[in-house]
Amino acid sequence: MHDFNYLRPKSLADAVAAFKNAGDGRYLAGGQTMIPVMKQRLASPSDVIDLSQVPELKGIAVNGGIVAIGAMTSHAEVAASKDVQAAIPALADLASGIGDPHVRNRGTIGGSIANNDPAADYPAAVVGLNATVVTDRRRIAAADFFTGMFGTALEEGELVTRVEFPTPEAAAYEKFLHPASRFALVGVFVARTKSGVRAAVTGAGPCVFRETVLEQALTRTFAANAVKNIDIDASNLNSDIHGSAEYRAHLVGVLAARAVAKAR
Amino acid sequence: MLKPHIGDSVLRHEDARFLTGRGTYVDDITLPNQAFAAVLRSPHAHARINGIDASAALAISGVLLVVTGEDWLKQGFGPIPTKSAVNKKRDGSPLNEPPRHCLAIGKARHVGEAVALVVAESHAAALNALDAIDVDYEALPAVTDARKALEPGALLVWDDIPGNFCLDFELGDKAATEASLKASDHVVELDVVNNRVTAVPIEPRGAIASYDAKTDCYTLYNATQNVHANRDTFAEKVLHVPKEKIHHIAPDVGGGFGVKNGVYPEPALLMYASRKLGRPVKWINTRSESFVSDSHGRNQMSKVRLGINKDGKFQALYTETIGDLGAFCWTVGPFTPTGGSARTQGGPYAFKAMYYCSKAAFTNTMPMDPYRGAGRPEASFQIERIVECAARKLGFDPVELRRKNLIPPTSLPLKTAMGLDVDCGDFPQVFERTLALSDRAGYAKRVEESRRKGWLRGFAIAPYMECTGGGPKEFAGVRFQKDGSVELAVGSQSTGMGHETSMPQILAARLGIDFESIKYRQGDTEATPLGGGHGGSRNLELGGNAVHQAASEVIEKGRKLAAHQFDTDEAKVQFEDGHFFVPGTNQTMTMREAIEASFDPSKLPEGMAPGGLDANTTYERGVISIPNGCHAAEVEVGPETGVVRMVGYWVVDDFGTIINPLLCDGQVMGGTAQGIGQALLEVAHYDPESGQMVTGSLTDYALPRADTMPPMTIEYYEGAPTKKNPLGVKGAGEAGCCGAPPAVVNAVLDALKDYGVTHIDMPLTPEKVWRAIRAAR
Ligand SMILES: Cc1cc2nc3c(=O)[nH]c(=O)nc-3n(C[C@H](O)[C@H](O)[C@H](O)COP(=O)(O)OP(=O)(O)OC[C@H]3O[C@@H](n4cnc5c(N)ncnc54)[C@H](O)[C@@H]3O)c2cc1C
Repeated sequence: MHDFNYLRPKSLADAVAAFKNAGDGRYLAGGQTMIPVMKQRLASPSDVIDLSQVPELKGIAVNGGIVAIGAMTSHAEVAASKDVQAAIPALADLASGIGDPHVRNRGTIGGSIANNDPAADYPAAVVGLNATVVTDRRRIAAADFFTGMFGTALEEGELVTRVEFPTPEAAAYEKFLHPASRFALVGVFVARTKSGVRAAVTGAGPCVFRETVLEQALTRTFAANAVKNIDIDASNLNSDIHGSAEYRAHLVGVLAARAVAKAR
Repeated sequence: MLKPHIGDSVLRHEDARFLTGRGTYVDDITLPNQAFAAVLRSPHAHARINGIDASAALAISGVLLVVTGEDWLKQGFGPIPTKSAVNKKRDGSPLNEPPRHCLAIGKARHVGEAVALVVAESHAAALNALDAIDVDYEALPAVTDARKALEPGALLVWDDIPGNFCLDFELGDKAATEASLKASDHVVELDVVNNRVTAVPIEPRGAIASYDAKTDCYTLYNATQNVHANRDTFAEKVLHVPKEKIHHIAPDVGGGFGVKNGVYPEPALLMYASRKLGRPVKWINTRSESFVSDSHGRNQMSKVRLGINKDGKFQALYTETIGDLGAFCWTVGPFTPTGGSARTQGGPYAFKAMYYCSKAAFTNTMPMDPYRGAGRPEASFQIERIVECAARKLGFDPVELRRKNLIPPTSLPLKTAMGLDVDCGDFPQVFERTLALSDRAGYAKRVEESRRKGWLRGFAIAPYMECTGGGPKEFAGVRFQKDGSVELAVGSQSTGMGHETSMPQILAARLGIDFESIKYRQGDTEATPLGGGHGGSRNLELGGNAVHQAASEVIEKGRKLAAHQFDTDEAKVQFEDGHFFVPGTNQTMTMREAIEASFDPSKLPEGMAPGGLDANTTYERGVISIPNGCHAAEVEVGPETGVVRMVGYWVVDDFGTIINPLLCDGQVMGGTAQGIGQALLEVAHYDPESGQMVTGSLTDYALPRADTMPPMTIEYYEGAPTKKNPLGVKGAGEAGCCGAPPAVVNAVLDALKDYGVTHIDMPLTPEKVWRAIRAAR
């Protein structure tokens, strides 16, 4: 790790200002990605801006069919939240399956989506539930937020403050564990909402995506059998020693069927 | 006050220290004025090094020293030789051994090979220096597959070693085996691969070297499993100093499994750097570096042929293996695919004839050294796979076929066709007990329950027979102190197995003294004059018997002292249960009293000095012993995804006398976990094009975790303590790795038998299982 300045702003405005004043600033949330990357010297920011004392980034609120989760909310808090469990059980379930207890107690939703790891779990929920990412300067629709592998629509210094999830009629997330990292080798989030059925896939490709083949089939019948043996195009999917594109495509169908079966 | 017996599950004495973070590993040691080293490692699998420019690195503030291969050679330091017990080719000529210098000379031959050492005031400055060293690499094509390396025209890892060929080897009667195969009703043939793995100990390798100019001596703290032998190599072969000049200490070591047995370059580099700089130098390997600089294991490709008659009786076994050595012979690398895998061929089954031959090849990969079992797990996997394959092909019940061919106790002792001296044991009884434990009666119901949940259930049983190994001598020293404490120093070494418990337990049990009064010392060239360290399941067999022998010597001396006190003839004094006594009299004296008396000059017999009960002894092994046992596994396979779950596991082991069942269970569980890892998850995978290690981090190298493990039932068969050593022990450390891979793989194949799946190479990843199902459908 290279030397850096450590800053701990006490408000949203101070955090954004700290970034502006820094030569090469980086926000620090749970540090579960950022610290290892800095230790490996793959990132060496001049200023590390710790978001842990920023009150505007905290808390979970359910209001008028919207579950708003502050960016600094840990995976463990989301998993344990009675409000989330009641409103969107699939989201609490997803959070409870991220990493291990250590990771869940440090890692945050803001950090996870800002990082947009191709195998991360949260992006599937954000896209699957058509959430809105709220930042210090605007509101970004899920469809526009994740732009590619580790890529997001966030501008230089833009800070995620919360994520707003509309409550669905029914939803579920199914994850097939990567045998080594236990991220998602493939993860599928399905949701039946007032505006239609959505199916988001993570892990399988370079970036989370909506699988229209699944959505069409599930729009016809929202039932496991509708997608169980469905043909998923493997041509844009990832291939590595843990799973070929073909295998990942197959898993998308299997997991979608399981998710539909348990959706509530 | 704790007075344990042999066979008691004494709780691990070391655990309070380990579990509360009070262990002392190398990285916990800080010497005054220490500097920090880091190693520049080759990013290429194969590259010519046209030059190294360290000027920018040396210009960084705090950077003290950069050592390159050229600098190293200029010092006149020698290469690290291999000590493989098999060191000749079949034609009698010596094996082809490339020079293994501590730093790459002229060329780098695997990703991770040490190219330069930097030393700096701080760890951070050392890392900055690494970034600043400019190495002019000319990348060359690499060969990473041993089979390809041996093909004619393969590119060469070493210009002067034709065909990448290190050595070949054979054991057994080739003509008789061929004749027996020919005469057999059936010959079943199978290609078996033992996948390349690495141990990933929790504590990475690391060392601190400190040179003292006043005495011209080095102190080396090192995360090693073998202080004596490795010191000798550093002193005599590399640095060319008398071995007495190196005080080699292994403090607490956090796991080894074989990868810390060998001689690595870094400690020698540190000793040189410390001398040059006049201050201690510390280095700790990172996890990422460990994957490409800790030795790897297994990676054997074998063709196995089994001759079997219509009645199911095995006739002959013929195994041909290609073993990968990586880029060097490393410490004992060539032994594993040769002698190490040959000796236990055929497992616990009776054969008329057996033949084993192998070739070992160099590749542009991290070199091989022992990994838990070092050849015996490979052999066990080979025989159990071919037996399962024969059962399926020829329509035998796999359990019945095994039962029919186990060596009966009435045949013991016997020498196998591989020359292994099997003295005692009861393979059929161990086998039947394992079967009984596994509740075969309830199996059909469990299969049905799994089926209802959408899972396929499979079962397999895998009897195994292996052998011990490692250094043939061990030292134990017992020193009594006036204050009542006892120091026990042994030359074998724990890297977490619990010697601090089992060894004092033996001493306390023999002498009838307080377990808590014993201070244990190990892993220190000044604590014992010799020591065989760790490896080959040798601790109880060598170290344990050395302690036993030392205790006997203490008792002999105590009898003299007691006779003097009782004013009687020494021959009349007996010792039992911690008491010296003369039968038929009321004369008695506890060991504790004898020890106290030994410090009172007025109570000593003629010729005994104060503290005269001390014993220093060396135990020497005659013949290696034969641990054996049986594993049985039940698995569930999800046909939709190919995922495998371990759902039941039963083990009965014959390790001879069990000193401490709790510690023994730990060995069996750990070995089984690593065996399950190899079977289902682990592979040190190299990209064939680039020669990069694809699974070079824990996000890609899949280790078994607690939730991978099934519930386990472990029992021991103690009806056959070996007479090869006084304690009657057979070695327990590596057995789990012998039984688990075949039990798991065969159980998965059993689950898939209705699909007609007969073979999948380890590791049985979900995708491979899914593909096998799909191909068979
Ligand atoms: C062992 C391990 C296992 C894991 N397993 C999983 C898994 O199974 N599934 C999974 O999805 N994830 C997994 N993770 C990742 C983890 O869940 C974290 O979510 C992830 O590391 C990022 O969150 P963080 O809070 O730690 O962010 P940090 O590491 O602190 O930051 C990550 C990046 O996001 C930026 N950032 C952080 N907060 C904000 C913000 N509010 N606005 C803008 N930018 C911001 C940072 O500047 C940085 O670039 C695992 C991590 C580890 C170490």
